[in-house]
Amino acid sequence: MNPIPTGATPNETSLWSVQRGASACILGYRDQLDPAYRTRLAEMGFHPGERVRCVLRPALGAPRMFRVSNTVFSLDRELAECILVTPA
Amino acid sequence: MSAKVMPRVMLIGSPNCGKTLLFNRLTGLKQKVANFPGITVELASGRLTERPDTVLVDYPGTYSLQPMSADERVAVEQFRRGLLDPDMVLVICVVDVTRLEKSLYLTLQVIRQCRAAGKPVLIAANMIDVLQGHGIKIDLDALAGELGAPLVPISARTGAGLGELLAHLPEGPQPAPPPAACRDPLAISPDMLLQQAAHQLARRYGPKGDVLVRTQNRLDAFFLHSWAGGVAFFLIMYLLFQSIFTWSAPVMDAVEASLGALAGWIVPWIGPGIAADFTSDALFSGVGAFLVFVPQIFVLTLVIGVLEDSGYMARAALICHRPLKIFGLTGKSFIPMLSGVACAIPGVYAARAIESPRKRRLTYLAIPLMPCSARLPVYTLLIAAFIPSTTLFGGLVGMQGLAMFGIYFFGLVLGLVVAGLASRRAEAVPDLPFFLEMPPYRMPALKPLLQRALHRCKHFVTKAGGVILAVTMTVWVLGYFPEGGAELSDSWLASIGRLIEPMFAPIGLDWRYGIAVLSSFLAREVFVGTLGTIFGIQQAEQNMVPLIDQIHASGLSPASGLALLVFFSTALMCVSTLVILARETGSWRLPAQMFLVYGVGGYLGAVAVYQLATVFSL
Repeated sequence: MNPIPTGATPNETSLWSVQRGASACILGYRDQLDPAYRTRLAEMGFHPGERVRCVLRPALGAPRMFRVSNTVFSLDRELAECILVTPA
Repeated sequence: MSAKVMPRVMLIGSPNCGKTLLFNRLTGLKQKVANFPGITVELASGRLTERPDTVLVDYPGTYSLQPMSADERVAVEQFRRGLLDPDMVLVICVVDVTRLEKSLYLTLQVIRQCRAAGKPVLIAANMIDVLQGHGIKIDLDALAGELGAPLVPISARTGAGLGELLAHLPEGPQPAPPPAACRDPLAISPDMLLQQAAHQLARRYGPKGDVLVRTQNRLDAFFLHSWAGGVAFFLIMYLLFQSIFTWSAPVMDAVEASLGALAGWIVPWIGPGIAADFTSDALFSGVGAFLVFVPQIFVLTLVIGVLEDSGYMARAALICHRPLKIFGLTGKSFIPMLSGVACAIPGVYAARAIESPRKRRLTYLAIPLMPCSARLPVYTLLIAAFIPSTTLFGGLVGMQGLAMFGIYFFGLVLGLVVAGLASRRAEAVPDLPFFLEMPPYRMPALKPLLQRALHRCKHFVTKAGGVILAVTMTVWVLGYFPEGGAELSDSWLASIGRLIEPMFAPIGLDWRYGIAVLSSFLAREVFVGTLGTIFGIQQAEQNMVPLIDQIHASGLSPASGLALLVFFSTALMCVSTLVILARETGSWRLPAQMFLVYGVGGYLGAVAVYQLATVFSL
């Protein structure tokens, strides 16, 4: 659950950059993410090791939709950029 | 009389798990908003229909016992308080079986806490009908075994399994078993281990594949499409406002005709005199004029209910997130703002879901400017008086519906501009991130929707009805005496009215409208009742004449009508909203400022609009 520093894993990217229909595996969170949000993300299923799929990328920078198991959440850029992933 | 303490059962669960639907099923929506002190006011409680000796308590949904927003804090605090309450005989934890991964962490936390407190806990595995509909089977017995708590599969939507759920209710208060905290391995696990346990259980027992989200994804691809989604959004909002006029018009006409017929039968039966004058002027013209608008409140609540229950509200919040950000708000402000279209009070409560205190405060500024249902009678009356009922594009677009859309749009824009200006003035703070669960699309169940709409109408009539009756009676007495209804212009009411008339002259209103506006500071709907009573006294010898015709006859100009619309859509004329805002913010500072600024702003706006409209000779 500890945050992994950027650059620790090859192909590491942020959840925000995952293409529509693509899946990614969560590595950890960026240091700047508030611990309360880190806890909440983990509670919702966005915890390290989990597979996440980008379901929709609405236009004009609107929050993007990500699916964890059978639940879909929308996350805005600020939050999704703090989640580090690797292509799954 | 000694108050008999009733055994209580609490419902707890994550957001969107169907908890409130279950609550309404079990209580028959006979819940009252519990009047606990402080922040807990919106907890719903009600007697179980099948077991009237037991009270069911519903809390807001929460993802875990570590709250992040104000509504989650309420749920967690009340849950902890409930564990210490000897009358709390059972905790029902509602789990959405289609999405175990978001429910099980809270479930494990609840089981752990209940065991430590010696409270029995029951798991209600909701939405079993969705799994059955897709032919998915999950091993609920094994899951119950792993959780170590009894589990009943139910469907709050269809009512399946509710009998078995109720069979688990203990008879009367139970002696608390000794706390099992020390023997329970989960009780000593740190939360992180509990989280991992929840994920493993969800992975093992949860439905596999994407069959459950396939339809949701397809619909989202349309409703959140770059342009189709935007068009659909405006179309849905437009239909909402058209429906208020077109669908409720026949029922409103029927209510008006019935009241007229009733007055025509009762008033001659009483015989000439003061009693007949009072019945005709104060009761039928005053209170009756207000009752005509109840069908509109019904339609409005029904349509907003459909939007909420279908799952579209979360999509609308997502669409609005970026535009609302410009005004310092968040997509989550959209839900309280749209709730505010029905009534500002649930809107203010709904704002609790906004994590950022700053954005919550900005949302509070916008909510009372949303065109609430109390404004609806005033808008309808003025629009019907001045806008022709012609239709365009072969009956597709009604002019009056268009005008209503316009005035609603004005309220929305005003709310946004005020929030935006306040946000520019406020100290810059780092933005809190946005996340929102997208609930699956569901076909709304008609019965709960109708019940909710009826409940809202009943609340509207009983809440505003008392105030309206008191005001119309006062207005009638002041308008009837000392001349005995012979000449309104020589009454006490006219004397008071002429005192305040200079204030309303810049809007082109005479003293009768001045009195109606002044009385509506208690509640906006009173405007209609007061006006009805005043015109009723004036035309005492005639049959009941529709208020719209009386407004025409009074010589009110369209310019003044427009100015009144601007005033009513801006001023904060609702005592209840002011009280709730003071309670939610912990001080009278914000509501007092809002009352003053919106009142003065509304007045100045109305003067400007009247003067401008007069220049263009409206």
